[in-house]
Amino acid sequence: MIPHLELSRRPELIGRPAVVDDGDGRVLTASEEAAAAGVRQGHTLRQAEALCPPAALVGADPVATSRLAERIAAELSEHAPAVEVRLDGRAWLDLTGIPLPGRAIAGARRGLRAAAGVEPRLGLAPGPFAASLAAARARPGRLLQVEDVPAFLSPLPVAELDLSAEQLERLDLLGLRTLGAVAALGPRQLESQLGRAGRTAARLARGEEPLPLTPWRPLIVTGVRCQLEPPVEDREALLFVARRLCGDLAEKLGASGAGGRKVRVRLGVDGGAPEARESVVRHPLSSTQELFGLVSSWLREWRPAAPITEVTIEVPELEAAGRRQLRLWMGGDGSAEEVRAALERLQDRHGTEVALSVRRALDTSPLAGQRYRLVPA
Amino acid sequence: MPTEKLQHAIGAIHVRFGGHALVQAARLPAALPWPTGLPAVDRLSGIGGLPRGRVSVLQGALGSGKLTLALAMLARATREHTHAVVIDRRRRFDPWIPDRLGADLDALTVVRPPTAAAAGEAAVALARAGAGFGLVLEELPEPALAPLESAAARSGSLVLVVAGGEQRALAHASSLTLELERVGWVPDRGRHVGPLSVVRCVKNKLAAPGAEAELALRYPLGPRLPAAEWPREVEREPAVVELWSDESAAG
Repeated sequence: MIPHLELSRRPELIGRPAVVDDGDGRVLTASEEAAAAGVRQGHTLRQAEALCPPAALVGADPVATSRLAERIAAELSEHAPAVEVRLDGRAWLDLTGIPLPGRAIAGARRGLRAAAGVEPRLGLAPGPFAASLAAARARPGRLLQVEDVPAFLSPLPVAELDLSAEQLERLDLLGLRTLGAVAALGPRQLESQLGRAGRTAARLARGEEPLPLTPWRPLIVTGVRCQLEPPVEDREALLFVARRLCGDLAEKLGASGAGGRKVRVRLGVDGGAPEARESVVRHPLSSTQELFGLVSSWLREWRPAAPITEVTIEVPELEAAGRRQLRLWMGGDGSAEEVRAALERLQDRHGTEVALSVRRALDTSPLAGQRYRLVPA
Repeated sequence: MPTEKLQHAIGAIHVRFGGHALVQAARLPAALPWPTGLPAVDRLSGIGGLPRGRVSVLQGALGSGKLTLALAMLARATREHTHAVVIDRRRRFDPWIPDRLGADLDALTVVRPPTAAAAGEAAVALARAGAGFGLVLEELPEPALAPLESAAARSGSLVLVVAGGEQRALAHASSLTLELERVGWVPDRGRHVGPLSVVRCVKNKLAAPGAEAELALRYPLGPRLPAAEWPREVEREPAVVELWSDESAAG
């Protein structure tokens, strides 16, 4: 367990009180320091500010967070066959059947520490529910192993169950304040009070672990291909084909919520060895325009040795990318993400000094060069 | 049949260049205005502000105040848009004036491309990405102008080019061209504190051109002016706008 990924991806906030805005003026998550001051998820930002005035307020970035989750999942999958990573900072490894579980745990600890910049809390238990509760009670960098699950769960408060405020209040009215009390009541009885959630809650409280992991699946290599008969020499025709292929590829990427981190174009040439070109991009490409922008710039300069018989566009490295609906607000301001991506591409081509942000320095200085600092954006 | 052939050709263009490449005239969206905060300038455009999704040009001789006017608009744009970008290949942009006019420097990015071709490429890429306001401080290479128009139209970006003299290709690409001519100076306690300029609308694709206004473009001397107090407007004959006030300049 590490802090919420919105906090983990910002190393500058480690050890500081911080609050993440969910975009609707409410707290998505708060750092341990802010939580100690009473800030909770769902509070309004005004409440959070009143409870913890020095807290840094940062905006949520779901795309960057899901990318971090993908990276962590990929790292953890090196140590166990089934892993699950959630945005709230919880990650599970299924160690069933692993010959050296201790080594897998140590590897996972290193991976999480590298991703979050802080020591993770580790819990070892027969199921994901008990393991997450054990991790929450472990000291940073330490593993808390649960051997007797019912005994471990019994004294814990019912707030640990994933129930709504109304359902928790109902449990309170029934005098059920610990998981032990809920477990003693039984699934059927609790189902009659809380519905299906009650049945699940009672089974969780008994340590039966009815909710299995949802294993992470790695993104697969995606590519599209088109054979040309007869072979094509005309560059415009080649661009025509490339645009259609980029459209098909963008659809595939969109279906899996992924973006291409590396793009490769291969041209089969008549009677010769295929020619290829590939590049790693800083910002994952997911739309037709983005893919065709890169591919067309290559094709315009490409001097193939012979007429083209086949065009293949592949994205060997994928990364989670928020699917962006371009030009949703025609006539309005562009999305910050698209503009940032355009600036990053310019920096890739011409160096970081090409796009600069302005910072005040000695703004009362009579010398223009001293008033502001221009730093790479 | 000719109709079928036409439909086939339209379909081919849509596939080859995208749906925006060919649009029925009746479906073209009207240009939306972006109010500059200077009513005299907004009136010149005929639509109540600079047109979004189009290329606008400020031109005039050296010292006519076109850059000061553009920087005043930039300062306003940084407060309204997530991203305001300045293309500054010749490294002559000083953030001091927009800062004095209350610009939000966090929303401002300065792009300094190494070559003119790269400047054109940067302007097109940022307009395509939808940067809310793009200020171009150089004349762009001719091949970049058509893609720039197209990119701005598709994203709704507002592109403002500051040009020294008349550039034929830029004149064609522009939807609104305002020309500044200095007719005097703004005096203050025996000093000249800015140009007194006449602004003429010499080209307008969206409304009738030909209107003109007189602007007192006082340089922003003195302390930083709170954003809420800017711009301070004083009506004279026929229309005079002061970008800076006596009170703040004295402080």
